[in-house]
Amino acid sequence: MAREKPVRMLLMTCASLSFLAILLIFLFIFKESIPAITRIGIPNLFSAAWNPDKGQFGMLAFLVGTLLSTAGGLLIGAPLGIGTAVFLDQVAPARMGNLIRRGVELLAGIPSVVIGWFGLIILVPFIAGITNSAGYGIAAASIVLAVMVLPTITALAAETLGSLPPELKEASVAMGATRWQTIRKVLLPAGREGILVAVVLGMGRAIGETMAVQMVVGNSSQFTLNPFQPTGTLTSNLVTNMGEAVGNFRAALFAQALVLLILSMVLILCIRLITRRKEG
Amino acid sequence: MDPRKADRIATAAFWIVGVIALGILAFIVIEIFARGLIAAVNPSFFAGKPQALKEGGGVGPMVVSTLYLVALTMLISLPVSVGAAIYLAEFAREGRFTRFIRFCLDSLGTVPSIVFAIFGMTMFLFYLNWRTCLLAGAITMALLNLPVFLRSAEEALRQVPRTYREASMSLGATRWTTVKKVVLPSAMPGIITGTILPLGRIMGESAVVIFTVGVFVRAVPLSPFDPAAPLAGYIWYVQSEAIVPDYRSIVNGGAAILLILLFAINFGTRRLAAYYSKRKSLGG
Repeated sequence: MAREKPVRMLLMTCASLSFLAILLIFLFIFKESIPAITRIGIPNLFSAAWNPDKGQFGMLAFLVGTLLSTAGGLLIGAPLGIGTAVFLDQVAPARMGNLIRRGVELLAGIPSVVIGWFGLIILVPFIAGITNSAGYGIAAASIVLAVMVLPTITALAAETLGSLPPELKEASVAMGATRWQTIRKVLLPAGREGILVAVVLGMGRAIGETMAVQMVVGNSSQFTLNPFQPTGTLTSNLVTNMGEAVGNFRAALFAQALVLLILSMVLILCIRLITRRKEG
Repeated sequence: MDPRKADRIATAAFWIVGVIALGILAFIVIEIFARGLIAAVNPSFFAGKPQALKEGGGVGPMVVSTLYLVALTMLISLPVSVGAAIYLAEFAREGRFTRFIRFCLDSLGTVPSIVFAIFGMTMFLFYLNWRTCLLAGAITMALLNLPVFLRSAEEALRQVPRTYREASMSLGATRWTTVKKVVLPSAMPGIITGTILPLGRIMGESAVVIFTVGVFVRAVPLSPFDPAAPLAGYIWYVQSEAIVPDYRSIVNGGAAILLILLFAINFGTRRLAAYYSKRKSLGG
C-alpha cells in the first residue's frame, strides 16, 4: 500500500489541473482587463461607440452581434438538430441511423476555418445575390453557426433519447398512440432536460465560435440590427485586432474576452440549474 | 387532425430533416474535394515550399507543423487526461472534491477557444517571454482538450466490468496494479476511440494556433521551441491577408488536405481500437 500513495497523488494532481487551468485563465484575463475597467470605465466599455484611434472602446455592437448570431444559429440549428436526433433514434432504419450518426460525428470534426471558407465562397455570394447586399453579416454568421451547432445538439439530444427507459415508449404504443403522438407527448417531454442541456451547450459553441464567424460576418464595428449588414462579434473582433493592439486598446479587448468568459460561465450555471431541477 | 394522418406527415418531416442534415455534410465534403483534391494530392503543393508574395507556393512545412503539433499535444494530453480519468473513475470517492473537479471541467469545456488562445498568448508570450512556438500551442491545446478527452477516457474506464477489478484485487493486487494490469488494457479500445475528437480538434484549431504557434514559416520546424504554422491557422492567414495571387487555390487545397487528415484519423483510430479489442478477446 505504501507504494500506492505517490501514484495516487500524481493522479490527483492531473485531476486538479482542471481547477488550476480555469483559475489561471480567469486570473490572467481579469488582470489584463483591469486597466480597461479603471481607465476606460464600465459604462464606456458597454457603449456603442467603437473607434480605437479616438479612444472609444464600446463593445455593444460586438455584444449584440454575438447574441444575434447565436440566436439566429440556434433558431435554425436547434430544430434541425433535435429533429435529426429524433429521426435517427426513432424513425430511421438502423443503417440510415448509423450513417447519420457517423456523418454528424464527421461534421463535428470539420475545422471551423474550412466551414468559414465554405461560407465565404458559397454562402456570402449567395446571400449577396438574393438580398442585394454585400452578403456579409448576421444572416451569414447565423447559417454558418447553425451548421456548427448541429452536431453538438444532435449528438447530445440523441444520447438523451437513447437513454430513456424503453417502457415509456412501449406503454405509449400499447395504448394505441401513433409514433408521432409517442414522440410528442411522451419521449420529448421525458427527455426535456437533456435536450435543453444539448441546446445550451450548442449555445456555448455558438457564442465561442471564432474563425468561421470572423470570415463571414464582415468585420465592421457598425452597430446594426439588419442581418444583411456587415458587423462584428466579440470573437471576431478579438481575433482581428488582438495581434496589434497595445495599451488601452489591448485592455479593452481583454475586457471583451472577460465578457465572453462570463457568458460561458453563465451557461454552465444554467445547465446546473436545469439538471438540478431534474434530480430534485 | 386524424392522428394517423398527422403521424404520416410527421414521419415525412423527420425524413426531410434527416436528409437535410446528411445533405449538409455531403455538400460540404463534396464541394471541398471538388475544389481542392487535385491540388491536395500534388506533391509540389503538399510537400512544396510556401511563398510569401508570389504564386505557386506549397504547404509542406505547414503539413509538418500540423502533424508535429498534434503529436506534441497528444504527448502532453494523453498522460494527463487519462491520469485524471483514472483518478476520478478508480481512486476518488464521489464527494465534494470530485464534484468540484467536475464543475471545473464543465467550465473549462465551455471556455471559447479564442479565450484559450488569448490566455496562452498572455502566459507564454507576455509572462514567460517565449516567442510563438509549437510547445506553447501544445500546452494550451492540451488544456483545451482536457475536458473532452477526460470524459471519454473516464467512460471507457467505467465500462470495464467491476468483476475484473474484484478478481484482480482478491488475488492480492493493489489498486494501482489492478488499474495498470487489468483495467487499463480492457479500457484501451474505448480510450483510443476517445482520441478521435481531440485529434480532430487539435488538427483543425486555428484560434490557438494564430496566437501561440504562428501563421507562416518557410522552414520545417524541428524543435518544440521553433515557431511553426499549422495548416488550419495558415489557411486562415492566407485568405485573410490575401497577398499571394493564388490564395484561393491554396485555401481550397489546404482544406482538402485537412479533410483527408480527418478521414485518416477517423479510420486509423477505429482500426487501432478494433485491433486492441480483437487482441483482448483472444486473451493476448
